[in-house]
Amino acid sequence: MPHCERITVQLNAEHVVVEEGLEQHYEVLKELGDCHASLGNTDRARHCYEEARVLAPEKAGPCVGLGVVELQFGNLDAAERAFRAAADLEPACAEAYGGLAMVRQHRGKHAEAFDLYMACLDKDADNLVALLGLFQTSCQMGSFARVIRYLEVYLDRHPGDTSVLFCLATLQARDGAMDEARQALEMILVLEPENAEAADLLRDVRRRQHHLAAETVRS
Amino acid sequence: MSHAGETRGPLVTVLVPTFNRRATLREALASLVAQTYTHFEAFVINDGGEPVRDIVDAFADPRLALIDRRENRGKAASLNEALVRARGTYVAYLDDDDLFYPRHLQRLVETLEADASCGVAYTDLYKVHCRVLPDGSRQALGKVVNVCRDFDRFFLCYFNHTLHVSLMHRRDLVDRTGPYDESLGILIDWDMTRRLAFFTDFLHVPEVTGEFYAPVADSDRISEKGRADRQAFIATTLKIRTARPPKPWPRMPDLSIVALPDGPEAAGAMVRDIYAWTFMPYQVLLPMPEAALVRLRIRMPNFVPVATADGATRETRLAAALERGEGDYVAVVPPGTTFQMLWVEDALHAATRGDGRTAFALPGPKAVAPAFVLPTGALARVLRGAGGRPMAQALADAGVTLRAPGPTEYALQFDRALQEAERLEEDGAWERAAHAYRDIADRFGNAHWMRQRRARALHEAGREGPALDLCRDLNRRPTVGTLILEARIHRQADRFGEAIDRLEEARRCLTAKGSPCN
Repeated sequence: MPHCERITVQLNAEHVVVEEGLEQHYEVLKELGDCHASLGNTDRARHCYEEARVLAPEKAGPCVGLGVVELQFGNLDAAERAFRAAADLEPACAEAYGGLAMVRQHRGKHAEAFDLYMACLDKDADNLVALLGLFQTSCQMGSFARVIRYLEVYLDRHPGDTSVLFCLATLQARDGAMDEARQALEMILVLEPENAEAADLLRDVRRRQHHLAAETVRS
Repeated sequence: MSHAGETRGPLVTVLVPTFNRRATLREALASLVAQTYTHFEAFVINDGGEPVRDIVDAFADPRLALIDRRENRGKAASLNEALVRARGTYVAYLDDDDLFYPRHLQRLVETLEADASCGVAYTDLYKVHCRVLPDGSRQALGKVVNVCRDFDRFFLCYFNHTLHVSLMHRRDLVDRTGPYDESLGILIDWDMTRRLAFFTDFLHVPEVTGEFYAPVADSDRISEKGRADRQAFIATTLKIRTARPPKPWPRMPDLSIVALPDGPEAAGAMVRDIYAWTFMPYQVLLPMPEAALVRLRIRMPNFVPVATADGATRETRLAAALERGEGDYVAVVPPGTTFQMLWVEDALHAATRGDGRTAFALPGPKAVAPAFVLPTGALARVLRGAGGRPMAQALADAGVTLRAPGPTEYALQFDRALQEAERLEEDGAWERAAHAYRDIADRFGNAHWMRQRRARALHEAGREGPALDLCRDLNRRPTVGTLILEARIHRQADRFGEAIDRLEEARRCLTAKGSPCN
């Protein structure tokens, strides 16, 4: 009877349910804040995040939410304070580092932003905001190799994510890896035949490959 | 006691034991006097704690009576004292830190009045995880539905799947169960609920009709304190599991377990294993030579020593034990029987649904002789015709088939199916889990609960359309959990306005006291 022991364990594991319920009120307030922030209701979002913070002062989530709201308004100092507070509360909070990176990026400090995006991805390889931020800063800095690795790791886990696939193809094209870029773009067009950006970039890649081949022949 | 504008219907007696919880008692009583079903009498029993007369008197409600004891004698004694005075057809319970929603009594009375064959009904409650603030008030951190699940007699004998504060039962059943056991420090509610199950079926009303509170800090709940003392907890559990109210038991199978060890050396361990692993009501009969029984000096509840002659065969010992046993069913336990969870309950469950011509085997691949459960009458017939033949032969000659119970005959089938579905969840097979929950509801009941599980599984499987349809349906009678789930589905689809609506509902539900979400 293989399940019997599990029954006993389950019956004695009431604490698991307790853990689930403990954060419910906090989650409601945090998610309310996130929804209001998405709709641009920043005052309401702030209010919800503040309430959530009172309910769970040890959680980083409300600080991250407040940071995002401040960032939307261009209040970089306030945003940085909020993200820093979040990182202090929960050093493993990827969003806090992503937020700090965005602040640095807004300030034009691309190298610092790049490092913070990397720190974010080290904690959460699936963080799409950080991946795209990393892509942007690497384009601005002209440093692609490390970013490509993160994008590939992400795509191993989310093979159908065409936005990241497009970033990868862009970086590969800029890095001179034309065959890889072409394959990535062709994959996007299989998944999204109407993707105009991918089609444009693929045309560009093919043209450059053609030129390269012609130059090779000439030389 | 009477009350102006009282509802026509049977009188309900509500028992409210209290001990040093003045602040919450006031709220509890307020929820009681706000009941839509008004034909009740209530006894507030102060178990030697701080004075509460002012609180009771402040309601100026003639339905509320105070039993003011100086001495602290425990909750069981409090309930018994009030039960003696109770006049209601039905009895309900309200702890001094819990709350009824307004229709609690009404739903239970309606349910019991609609089915006279059942003497007990119960609802679901919110378990409110809360933080106690410096002023003594309670801040809700979460409200999780404590699903009491549909009635399962076998499961109830193993674990109390009801909440006493959500329970209502016929008062006359107490004449048969006996009063609350005042020797128990903890689990007095399970002890009473289990004894009620000997005499009646229970009806589950899958609605949230109240709430009980669980502070996040060191809990002051007596039951949790008691569990901290593991030895005492085990001793209490054993005492409850061996309780045998006076017969007849119209709803509970009684089992005679006949232990047939090879000698006195093995007898102690076998008897100990039986007590450790059995949770359905039973007697243990040990047929052995008198000298061996005297030497063993086993003093356990429901233990029946059966003196036999030296050198008696196993079949002769079994026949001697059968004469002393009270059970409707007999478990024959030779050496080599395997003791484990459900070791005898699966076979007993199968036997209670069998035709009396099948002996259901107990686990024990190395058993020296057949180990099985059979109705007592059938086994007596087998033994009468045995003529000294071995048991396996005697069973066959009597036309009794010996086989293991099949999966559809096991006890706790709902729990087994639920665990399979949970395993699918753990493996990330959400779509299959969603199917499993629908199948479980079809086969084993607990429909509302399983629909909630199914909605979550569909959401995790990315089946947002069906998940949303199910959530919307569930949220015609919303809970905090289902509101949050629906909000998440909306949010994922960027329908932030609808997500906000559901989250605001959840928030109101979390901050409301004494009323359900809807």
